[in-house]
Amino acid sequence: MAQPPVSSESQEQRVTEFVNAYQSLRAEVGKIIVGHNEVVSQVLIGLFAGGHVLLEGVPGLGKTLLIKTLAESLELSFSRIQFTPDLMPGDIIGTNIIVEDAQGRKHFQFQRGPIFGHILLADEVNRATPKTQSALLEGMQEGAVTVSGASHPLPAPFFVLATQNPIEMEGTYPLPEAQLDRFLFKLRVRYPALEELTEIIDRTTHVRSVEVRRVLTGPQVLSMRELVREIPIASHVRDLASFLVLATHPQWERAPEPARRFIRYGASPRGAQALVLGAKVRALSEGRFNVSVEDLRAMALPALRHRLILNFEGEAAGVDVDDLVGQIVEAAETMSGAGKEVFLR
Amino acid sequence: MPGPTVIERLVADVARQIRLRRAEFYGLRGLFWGAVAAVVPLLLKEPLGPWSYAGAAILLLAGAGAGALWGVLLRLPVAEAARLADRGYALQDRISTALEWAERPDRTPIVEALVVDATARAEQLGARRIISRRMPREAKLVPIPLLLGLVLAAAPPIPLPQGRLPNFSVSRDEDEEKAPGDRSGDIQQSERKQATRRDPVQRADVQERNLSPRLGGGGQSQPGDLAAVFKDTSLGGRAPDFNSFLKKGDERLRMLDSLDRLPDLQSDFTQSQTRMVFQKAKALRGGLDPNKKVSPEKLRELLSEMERLGRKNGGQGQGNWSGDAYEGMEALEGGQSDRAMEAMERALNKMRSMEERGRDGKSLKGGRESERRGGRRGDKGSGQQGGPGDEGDFPEGEGLLPGRGKSGAPKGDATARLRGSPFDVGVEGEARAGRKQGIDTNMVGRGAQMPSRMQYMGVLGQYRKMMEESIAREQVPRDFQTQVKEYFQSLDEK
Repeated sequence: MAQPPVSSESQEQRVTEFVNAYQSLRAEVGKIIVGHNEVVSQVLIGLFAGGHVLLEGVPGLGKTLLIKTLAESLELSFSRIQFTPDLMPGDIIGTNIIVEDAQGRKHFQFQRGPIFGHILLADEVNRATPKTQSALLEGMQEGAVTVSGASHPLPAPFFVLATQNPIEMEGTYPLPEAQLDRFLFKLRVRYPALEELTEIIDRTTHVRSVEVRRVLTGPQVLSMRELVREIPIASHVRDLASFLVLATHPQWERAPEPARRFIRYGASPRGAQALVLGAKVRALSEGRFNVSVEDLRAMALPALRHRLILNFEGEAAGVDVDDLVGQIVEAAETMSGAGKEVFLR
Repeated sequence: MPGPTVIERLVADVARQIRLRRAEFYGLRGLFWGAVAAVVPLLLKEPLGPWSYAGAAILLLAGAGAGALWGVLLRLPVAEAARLADRGYALQDRISTALEWAERPDRTPIVEALVVDATARAEQLGARRIISRRMPREAKLVPIPLLLGLVLAAAPPIPLPQGRLPNFSVSRDEDEEKAPGDRSGDIQQSERKQATRRDPVQRADVQERNLSPRLGGGGQSQPGDLAAVFKDTSLGGRAPDFNSFLKKGDERLRMLDSLDRLPDLQSDFTQSQTRMVFQKAKALRGGLDPNKKVSPEKLRELLSEMERLGRKNGGQGQGNWSGDAYEGMEALEGGQSDRAMEAMERALNKMRSMEERGRDGKSLKGGRESERRGGRRGDKGSGQQGGPGDEGDFPEGEGLLPGRGKSGAPKGDATARLRGSPFDVGVEGEARAGRKQGIDTNMVGRGAQMPSRMQYMGVLGQYRKMMEESIAREQVPRDFQTQVKEYFQSLDEK
């Protein structure tokens, strides 16, 4: 598709604007959140890639705070839903209620639920029943919800950030694979390092008021999402993404040994989309106009870790999915011909 | 959009570097193999003379040159060179992406910025080697053939072994025999003469059949003993004669070509031919898988043999199976294998009858009684040896049972003597439940406690075990297994 001629300066300007917006957004979040640089970057990548992000971590690591801070940094509406076992789909989507007009006539009117916001925080999403979790499915994928046969579009940009706790699994409902696949990334929030912990203590136990500025509007976010899709990707980098996703499938004839041994189901094509889109945002955030192999490598973990389903042997052996993805990345690079001996071929 | 000339120049430079490294790599590999090959003419220095040095040098240079040429000419796509340029200059795939996307019709506006960016970065790059040298494994081994070649070049020529194969041609042999004086003093000839004198074995053409066992060749033939097949033939005593073999071959090999003419020494010839045929037929039928059909070839072969045997035995009477076998063969020709099998069954039955008749008084049926009957018949002057008379005297269901049939045995009802004494043993019977009518018997009286009875009881355990094994091996038909078990249980209860 040929585009109208646009000067390279204007393109560079767009990219520079993107980089500035990205950096300023990071800076605003960094005012509240200590450390978690990688997680913050990946959340922002998820935002600009147009996907949804699932954050997993033990309580008290600042997952919810991170999302709230991000919402505060954007001029976007924010909704928070605390998922509990008694939460119903109607509590998320909304429901039809009977209202009376000025003439005294009664009729049904759709009362919007909290899903109708730009940024939705689904806190402890695994505590609600699968039925309620599924209420998010259509909204996350289609950007619209259907109630009583009527489709209601969600505001754009629509960005779901869900949190879940990997421990205290009693009384929880682990997200089904279909639901997990709709998250662009799954991020693991690690425990802070010593310096970070000290900084957290200083920031949170002193009298200090930090003001978070709103640095981006909704249309700006949408414009940046469009720019992301314009970033070119070389065929060998794109092929590496395909190899990466296919290498997670144990049935594939060239699947590496770890995948054959420990994986039951591999990543879906959504995994490849997540890889490439994330890599494009990463490239842009670094001021580059193209996707590199390093971008793909950096996006492999968040894009693939929740899309691999371990088999019994993998579960029994306590295989760490992150390690497995690392091995698959190495194998895929070898398969795609990115090895050091390539010049001898 | 600016032309990607700077990028192309950069890629071309990288491609040159790659070709150079490839030439080095494959040149070293070629040098090694050339050096290995160069050793050969140096080894053959004696026959080749000064050409060996030239050959070695040519091989060495040709190996290295061919390797280097191969490396230079190896295919190198531009995209691959661009990738290596990106990697070598840490350009994060800018060059390869720009090169690929610059000419694509679906390029986005940002591609222009990418090309500009890549060009600017390429211009800033200084000329340096980014493709590192790689050494093949053979490179470490190159000194070995080189040193070896130098040593061989410096050393005197190695004398090659001068050997000739002995001449086995017949004409030469005959010439020597005709004119022994021509080569008097020849050691080889004198040795041959001695060997001829020492050889006590007769030649095949003058030897007669010698049935006495050869030294070391007699005794029982072992399975796999190929020599045994010649034991009964005129070839058994012949010593191998190589010259004769060269002239006209060996009779043994010809015999082995026609295996059907060889005697089967492994088989037991003490059995009659009829019995062997019977056994073959039995094996043929017994080994049949119900899902598989019997091979028509085997059946035809068997029927043919049966027919031949029937004719050999002679006679067209009712007991001759030749007709049945012939009928079976005809049925088989017509594709009616069922009829052929039936005909074979009939022939086998007749064969079995004849065999049993042949056993006469020694058969299991008769014993003394048969002998006695045979004697009686002999008295009557029938002249027949048992056989046919058996069936006439004792129709089916009759025999030596007391009070039945035509037997004149002095057995009748039980006498009053039974239970007359406390030592008498009686047998009580009661009908047993089951499909087949049967009577369970039990001894009564003192005899029931006699040692013989106790042994009988003792052996029951062994029989039960055998019964269970038989059932496990499915030797007992499934329908009768329950009944057999119940029988043994009833024995236990008693």
